[in-house]
Order: sequence, then structure tokens, then C-alpha cells
Amino acid sequence: MKSNKIIKLILFLALIVPGVSGAQNADTLLKRMDDLMLAPKDKQATVKIILTKTKSNKQKVREAILMQKGRDKKLYRYTAPESQAGIASLSLPGNVMWLYMPAFGAPTKISLLAKSQAFTGTDFSYEDIDSRPFAERFTPKLLSSDDPDVYQLELTPKSDKSKYSKVILSLNKKYFYPEKLEYYDTRGRKFKEAVYLYKKSGKYWYAAEVKMTDLKKEHSTEIIMTDVKFDQGIPDDVFSVENLKQK
Amino acid sequence: MKKFAEKILAHKWLIIILVSVLTIFLGYQLKNLTINADLLSSLPDDDPDALLMKQIGKDFNGNSMGMVILETDNVYRADVLEHVRMITDTISEIDGVSSIQSLTNIINIKHGDFGVEIGSLVDEWDIPDTPEKLQELRSNVMSNKMYRGNIVSEDGTSTLIIFTLKDGADVEGVARSVIEKTKALHLPEKLYYIGSPMLITYISDLMRDDLIKLLPFAFLLIALVLLISFRSATGVILPLLTAMIAIVWSLGIMSLLGYKMSMISNNIPIIILAVGSAYAIHVINRVNQLVVTDREKAICLALAYVMVPVFLAAVTTIIGFVSFIFGAYLGVIVDFGIFTALGTFFACLLSIFFVPALLDLFSSEKRNKAALSKKIRKSFLSDNFLAPLNTLLFKHPKYVLTTWGLLIAISIFGIFFIKRSVDIQEYFKKGNPTRQAENIMIEKFGGSKPVFVLFEGDIQSPEVLKKMLKMGKYMEKSPDINSTQSIADLIAEINYAVTGVREIPDSKAKIEQLWFMLDGNDAIERFVNDDLNKAIMYSMFKSPDNQAKKDFVDYVRKFINENATPDCRIRVTGMPFIDITMDRSLVNSQMGSITIAIIFVIIIVGLILRSMASGIYAAIPIIAAIMILFGVMGLTGISLNIATVLMASVALGIGIDYSIHIISHFKHIYGVTKDAPKAIKETIMISGKAIIINVISVSAGFIILVFSQMVPLQYFGILIVLSMIGSSLGALTLLPVILILVYRKKSNHKKVD
Repeated sequence: MKSNKIIKLILFLALIVPGVSGAQNADTLLKRMDDLMLAPKDKQATVKIILTKTKSNKQKVREAILMQKGRDKKLYRYTAPESQAGIASLSLPGNVMWLYMPAFGAPTKISLLAKSQAFTGTDFSYEDIDSRPFAERFTPKLLSSDDPDVYQLELTPKSDKSKYSKVILSLNKKYFYPEKLEYYDTRGRKFKEAVYLYKKSGKYWYAAEVKMTDLKKEHSTEIIMTDVKFDQGIPDDVFSVENLKQK
Repeated sequence: MKKFAEKILAHKWLIIILVSVLTIFLGYQLKNLTINADLLSSLPDDDPDALLMKQIGKDFNGNSMGMVILETDNVYRADVLEHVRMITDTISEIDGVSSIQSLTNIINIKHGDFGVEIGSLVDEWDIPDTPEKLQELRSNVMSNKMYRGNIVSEDGTSTLIIFTLKDGADVEGVARSVIEKTKALHLPEKLYYIGSPMLITYISDLMRDDLIKLLPFAFLLIALVLLISFRSATGVILPLLTAMIAIVWSLGIMSLLGYKMSMISNNIPIIILAVGSAYAIHVINRVNQLVVTDREKAICLALAYVMVPVFLAAVTTIIGFVSFIFGAYLGVIVDFGIFTALGTFFACLLSIFFVPALLDLFSSEKRNKAALSKKIRKSFLSDNFLAPLNTLLFKHPKYVLTTWGLLIAISIFGIFFIKRSVDIQEYFKKGNPTRQAENIMIEKFGGSKPVFVLFEGDIQSPEVLKKMLKMGKYMEKSPDINSTQSIADLIAEINYAVTGVREIPDSKAKIEQLWFMLDGNDAIERFVNDDLNKAIMYSMFKSPDNQAKKDFVDYVRKFINENATPDCRIRVTGMPFIDITMDRSLVNSQMGSITIAIIFVIIIVGLILRSMASGIYAAIPIIAAIMILFGVMGLTGISLNIATVLMASVALGIGIDYSIHIISHFKHIYGVTKDAPKAIKETIMISGKAIIINVISVSAGFIILVFSQMVPLQYFGILIVLSMIGSSLGALTLLPVILILVYRKKSNHKKVD
């Protein structure tokens, strides 16, 4: 009798849960991705940024040392090209950014009004590099996927100020890291695409390579991360304005 | 000649089949014929200003900049700003648009209490909506020359949305989308469209419209004139068919060779229709005039008479058109010359071969002699115009001569008042929205004629940037330049935000680091090339006045001579520069092409008629007609522009035909009878009739241009009609009078001897 009840309950749950869990699932999936991306306490890496004009294949290459603590403290120290070596940018919570230009000697606080603008010549807009988790910024919906290895999520921006009408996320089923993000403009046309290559170092997954292509501008940005180290215990004062000056 | 004519009739089937096959083949090519209304692409590569202009267009997309003007009573209102944002978004999503700049997305660099603020002048997601915020925006705009008079007019009633096309974008397609999609927003403000992509699109629309509407009308009108003159189906169909085939052939070849229709060659069909029908008219007229009952004989005889004058008339007309090739500044004018000449040649060939073949095929074998002679005698023209004309000429030759002398004197006086204009805006009628847009640009945004200064060197070096800033300030002192824009302004602005000094920093390192902040901004791409060794400074020139343009060119060149160095090369170009060269070339090519045409005409007519005197006589009426033409232009204020400049040579090419017909006819009869008065009288009675029919039908064709949507073409039509009437009157009055006086003298001499 008892086992019969349990079976009934299980059957009942099996019937209704998928419907409920569809909605929950999308939220959970996105949350899991956020968790994976924000897992390390801190991170240090050498970053190579390659900017390419797709049509003429003209390239510009920048190199920087990245240090990151938590999700919204980020320090880039540029090492190449020579003309930009020594420039450092520090992003702090609340969309505050400081820029240190050695030729001027003093750090400058930079306030960025236009979110849709490109971030220092890359194809990432300030909206794209927003430090808030995806789950805070988007409402997800699970779509059916042709690829058995990925989930497809349709992300709708919660803010009415977004340049995107939706973002289609391809999420790795096994490890929950993003494989591809496709950005759609307000008229529903795809105009940007980011492809990720995630690698594992120690216990953390990280985006070893990202390639963002602006289909309309025919321009792409590749970010390649090497020498990645996690949880080094980077002290807080590294992310202070005073520290920007010293090398 | 007669044998040749017989051969033509013997091979009539071959001729008809050949013509049909060619017409079908070339007619099929017409489907590939496209329109290119971009005058810039027609600028010659051997003119350094034009070459630089094209190069800049390619390197910086500067020539494919379009603008939407939004006009209202006050731009600084939340709803208007919202509408600007809507337009900006709409245009930015159109394929082929590479960048867009407007009040709601333009970069703003501000030095605040908290540091540097780089962002947009207006936060597009938080549009100012309180009176305070709007007032703040207004003062921001007014205090910065990047915005004041560039993005928003000083009086705050108009704002520009400026977009640039991608290299290789479908210019007309993009322009049409911009117009359609922004109109579909149904905004309460007035929208105007300007800039070269818009102009090109407007002009090609007008061209298409003209071609579709005017050609059939010209056709009908000429048909009507022919019907009244010949009162027979062949008299209407054959000249029109000949012209039609000639049009198809020349346009077909144009398409086959990859040429495009330009705003000038758009007239080719109407000109060939008018000119080309004339040759067939002469052939048919001659056949009709003969009192011979045998059809074949009549055709052969008529052909033998008329072949030389028709051929000669065509050759001289062709010379008139071909003369454009020499000294024409614009490639489109050369193309026009070549293909109109080709069409004329085809029309002549068809009149000599195809028309007789068809005549032989379709007219009845035996002609009614009584009806024929009755037809000749009972002509309205002969009784009421040509016969009295003969009487007048023989009775008062000196009066006629004096009248002409007087007309020419007045005309020479008028020639001194001829105005020249190279302004493309004059292509549009007064109420045209493009013209209104142009006025807004001049009144509120400092003009619409772009001026580009190209700096070559290390653009990130203080030397080059300082020169750029200095030159900008220097140019802004010119009364016709409102403001200039360059990367130097942006660097100075951002330096101001960082250090409080609105200057170019002294060290390259500082510049490179400021650059980092701007990197990736659309503004950079507009001003500097990828390799950072070329930069451009933009400005708009206001005055349409030619002297103002010349003064400006001298003013700018002076600065360049004093400031350019091997490390900082400076070159300047733009519409004022092109306009000056175009203006100079208008006069030069006008003088050049007329002189060449007149000399060639005299030589060829002289050679074929075997007397240089005949060549000179033939030229006199047309020279008189051209003088009157220029006199009328001077006295009525019709300006010499890229369309009317063609007119004198076209007039010469067509008008000379009348003299040729008169002279050759006269010589023919004089050779047989040795009686000059008789020869002149008969010439006027027979050739005079053909000339009058021809003038009326050609004029009917050209007068249609009065209904063209493009102003210069309207004038072109009126002036051609005027010159046709002038040169035909010259051939029918001045030329016979000269002949009368010359032969009177000759016979007097003979009598004395």
C-alpha cells in the first residue's frame, strides 16, 4: 500500500514537475553559469587582445596583465603596444573606472555614460562587460536545442535601456559554461556574436579564448588568456587608486 | 551615286533583315543599362583636386555622407529629442550604414568635479525632460563648436542626423531606405534629406521620371508634326522608326560596353529622336518632290540627290557632338558626346540604307503623276511662306542683311552678361525639397559644400596635431567657413578634460595615451585612417559665389604654403575647388568645342562641295545663330552650366545641316542651269520646305524638355529650339542673301568683262 502511494506520488511529480521545472530550470541554469563564472576568489592572467577588421583583415594587438578580485574589482595593466604600455585601468564597484596614463602622472576618474559604446576599441560594449551576474540582468527562457550537448536559453534584458532585444545563450550541458552568445538588435536581427572556449585550471573553469564579432561593423575582438592563476590572495590595496601609479 | 542607290534597293531584304537582327540584339542589351547620377565619379583623374576628392571619399567614406535635417520650432524638448533618437536608431539599423552621428549619440567629453566624463551628450535612455536639464543641454551645445552649428543650429530650430555609408554600399538602396523608414515614423517635425547619397538618389529618380514621361511625349509631338507635313503613314512612321532604331543601337552599345546613364546622357534619346528623324525626313521629302512615276526610279534619283547632303549633315552634327571630347572636364560629357555622335551616325546610315529599302517595299509601284505635281504645288508652306520669302530676299537683300547685323550687334552686347553656374542645386526647381534642405544647410549649418583638408604624417605627433588645430582656427576666420572638425579638436578637448588646458599636449606619449580613451569611437574612424598616417579635417563652405570660392582657395593655399613640411604634408580639396575648375572648364570647353566644330565643319563642307567658299558660307548662318543664342542667354540671365554648355555645339551640329542642304541644293541646280536666281528660288522652295518641317519637328522634340524636372534641361530645351529657329532662319534668309549678293557681283563682273 505504502509503496503504491509512493509510486503514485512519484508518477504525479513526474507529470507536473517538468512543466514547473521548465521555468525554474532556465533560472537555475543561468544561475549555475553565473556561479561557474564567478567562482574564483581572485584571478590573475596575461591577456592578449586582438582587434580585427574582418574585411581588410587588419589587426591591432594589445597585451595586458589582468588582476581581478570578486566580480567587480578589475585591474588591467597594459604592456603592449609600446605606446600604450604603462596605461592602467581600474574598475571598481558601481561602474566607477579610473584610468592611469603615465605621461600625465595622475589617475583620472572616468565616468561612462553611454553603455552601448565600445569599450576602448573592442567589440564589447560597456553593457557586455557589466560586472553584475547574468541572472540579475536577464530573464531566461529555455528553448529546445538541436545540439544534444548544449542548452539553449533565450535571455531577455530586464532593463529597458538595453541595446539588445534578446540574447541567445548556448550553455554547455555538462559543465554549465557559455559556449556561444548571440545578440539580437531591437528589430530582432542578430548583429553580434561571442564564441567562448572554456578551459579548466585547477578547480576552476575560465574563458581561455573569447571571440566577439560585430557582424554589422565587420569587426572582431579576440581575447586570449594565458598564465591564469586563481585564488592567489591578491590584497585589496592592489585595487586602490593609489596603487595605479606604481608598476 | 545613282548606281550606289540602285545597289541599295537591290539588297533591300538583306538590309531589312540585318537592321532587324541588330535591333533585337542591341534592344536586348538595354535591360542591363543602369543609371549613375553621381557626378563625383565622373571627375577626371588628371585634376589633382578631383583625384584627391575621390581618394578621400575612398579612404574616409567622406563622399558618401548623408544627412537628415529635422526642423521644428525648438529642438530642446523631450519629445523632439526622443524623435531624434528614433531616427538615429532607425538609420543605424539599415544595412550599408557604417556610422551615424546625432544629438542623441554624439560623443561628449566633459571635465567634471569627479574627473573626466566620456559619454554621450544626451543619455539616450534618460532623455532630459525637465526645463533645467533641457536648458543645461542647450548651454552644453552652445558652448561647444563640435555641436553648435554642426549638430544643432544656433537658433535651436534644426538638428542634423549625419550618417556615413559603408565602402561599396548600394548608395541608392541605402538612401531610399533612409527616406522610407524615417518617413514611416510619422514624426510631427519636418524632415529634409541632403548629402551626396540623397542627391544622387533624387537626381536618378528625376532622370527616370523624365525619361519615362518625356520621351513618349516628344515622340507623339514629332509624329503629329510629321503627319501634318507629309500626310502619309510612311512620312510619320519612317522618320520615327529610324530615330527609334538609332536610339536602341546607341544605348544598346552603351550598355554592352558597360557605360551607365548619367544626368547628362539621360538626354541622348530625346536628342537622337530629334536629330535622327531629320535625315529620314530629307530622304522622304526628296522622294515626294520628284515628279517621276516609277517608284524605284524615284527613290534612286532622290537618293542620288540627297545622299551627299544627308551624309554631310550627319558628319557635321557628329563633329558638333564629338567636339565635347576635347576640353570637357567631366567624363559624363565625353560619354554624352560619343554616344550622341554614334546615334547620329546610325540615324544617317539608316536613312540612306534602311529608309529607301522600306520605301521600296511599302509604297505602290506606280505613282500618280497628276496627284504628285498637285501635291507639290498645293503646299501650304510653299504658297504662304516660301514664295513670299523668295520675293523678299530678291527685292530687299540689303534690308535682310542689315536686320541680321543689328541682331548680331545686340547679341554681342548680351554675351558680356552671361552668368556661369556650376552649382548642382540649380538642377532642382525652386520648390523642390532638396533645394529647401540646401537653404537650411546654408542658413543654419554653415553651408553644404564639403571642404576636406588632408594631413599626412605621424598623426599622433604634436607637430601634426598642432598644425591641424592651427589650420582649423585659420579656416574659421574665412567668412564662408562656420567651423572645422578634426581629430585635433577631440584631442584638445579630451586634454582639456584631463588637464584643464584646451591644447594639444607637447609630448607624443601624452597624445597616445589620450588616444587610448577614444579608441574604437566612431569619431576616430571618421577622422583618421587605420595606419594613423592620414587624417582629415572637415568643414562646410557657404557661398555659392564663384569669386568667394576663388578667394577661399587662395586663402587656404597661402596657409598650406607657409605651414606644410615634409613631416606634415597638407593638401586641400572639396566642392569649392572642383567648382572653380569646372567653371573654368565650362568656358574653355565651350570655346574649345565650338572652335573645333566650326573649323572642322568649314573644312569638311568645303572638301565635299569642293569649294572652301561654300564651307564658309555654310558656317555664317550658324555662327550668327550661336551668337544670338549667347546674346539671349546673357540678356535673359540663363546661366551657362554643365547642361547648357553642351548646347552651342549641339546647335552647331544640327543647325549647320540647314545651310548644307541649301548650299548643296543650290550648287546642284546652279551646276545644271548656271542661273543663280533660279537656283536660289528652287532651293528655297524645295529644301526650304524640308528645313521648315525639320525645324518644327526637331523643335517639337526638344521643347518637351521644358517639362523636365531638372532646371538646366528646361533651359537646354528652350535654347536648342531658339538656336534651331535662328539657324534655319539664317539658312533661309542670311545665306540666300549672301548668295544673291555674291552671284550678283559675279554676274556683274562677267558683264563688265
